[in-house]
Amino acid sequence: MTTESSKPPSRQQRQHCWKLRDEYFACLDRLTIVDPVIVEKEPEKAKECLEKKSKYEDACMASWVEYFNKRRVLDVKQREYLEFSKQQSGKQP
Amino acid sequence: MVFFNKTFREEIMSGCNIAFRYKGAKNNPVFLFPIPSFSTIIIKMLRTGVRTFTAALRRQPQSQHQKTVTRFALQRRLLTTARDEEKARNRAAIGVFNWKSAALFLGTGAGLLLYFRQEKERVTKLREEKARETSKAYGKPKIGGPFELINAENGKRFDSTKELAGKFYMVYFGFTHCPDICPEELDKMAEVVDIAKEKKEPLVPVFITCDPRRDSAEIVKEYVKDFHPDMIGLTGDQDEIRKVAKSFRVYVSSPPSVEEGEDYLVDHSIFFYLMDPDGKFVDCYAKDTTAEEVVSSYEKYYKEYYADKK
Repeated sequence: MTTESSKPPSRQQRQHCWKLRDEYFACLDRLTIVDPVIVEKEPEKAKECLEKKSKYEDACMASWVEYFNKRRVLDVKQREYLEFSKQQSGKQP
Repeated sequence: MVFFNKTFREEIMSGCNIAFRYKGAKNNPVFLFPIPSFSTIIIKMLRTGVRTFTAALRRQPQSQHQKTVTRFALQRRLLTTARDEEKARNRAAIGVFNWKSAALFLGTGAGLLLYFRQEKERVTKLREEKARETSKAYGKPKIGGPFELINAENGKRFDSTKELAGKFYMVYFGFTHCPDICPEELDKMAEVVDIAKEKKEPLVPVFITCDPRRDSAEIVKEYVKDFHPDMIGLTGDQDEIRKVAKSFRVYVSSPPSVEEGEDYLVDHSIFFYLMDPDGKFVDCYAKDTTAEEVVSSYEKYYKEYYADKK
């Protein structure tokens, strides 16, 4: 039986979710917080972003929020590692 | 030694039109005029005569052979004019190389060059074809195969061997609750299909869900309609989907224990699988290939397939 919650988001809903996610992450970038889990544990650290956070979590499904948060950490780590390896290799682009 | 005056000499020189490059001949008076002076002949005669005479006095009488050689040498020396000598000297300097032989050499060279170029092209073409054939015979992995699922459009059975026969099709495995990757990839697939349609190379997009628990036929139908009107959405029950995924070597992993209504994501490999009209696997495209790259690759396979058929 398909309940309302199991119906997948439409294109508009998806894009709405993505937009709010980007806003929230931009706010975190300004505070140089990488892992959104920190905000969960210590909300005082990111007071300005809390409103955006709640909007983001409302618009997106819970599994998506978790996925996006984890992806953010991975992406930052990956970018840092690529920078590091580029420096180490000494090759000029 | 100089019988003729300067102006006569110059006239003869200008009339000759031959470049003299004999080394060391600059100061040779014989070099200057083509006709031997009478005195030169006399002197030569005397010189040779004296030599032979003294040689004869000193040595044993000459053998018949030696006498012949001396006589011919004498004749040659007497009758050779300066021009002949120059010519001989020039010929010796240049060797066998004159205009005729030069032309022949260049002509042969050019001919050989053209011939070899042609041959090389032919051989490389042959080799390429052979390489292609062998790769076709051995290099295609046994991915995919006939499958039977439920068509989300009408809820009826969908048999790939019947519905997709005679058409190129591209399969993507995903699920409707996918956060960002599946929508992106399906948008890319829609773009590929549109470009291919413009080029008159029809391609059928097929979406198979990896999450049959949540993705019923209606849900899949609505989902794929959002991307492209030609897209076929397929679903089925767990076993069928698992069998198809296995035949395509697709990595699919649902969380093991999920309750009703709970939200979860399905992990799956992100590839487009291009299949030919015989239902055989052709190629797969990863997440980082652009739509244009996919189309150009598809075009090659399309042309190859139909060229063979002809």
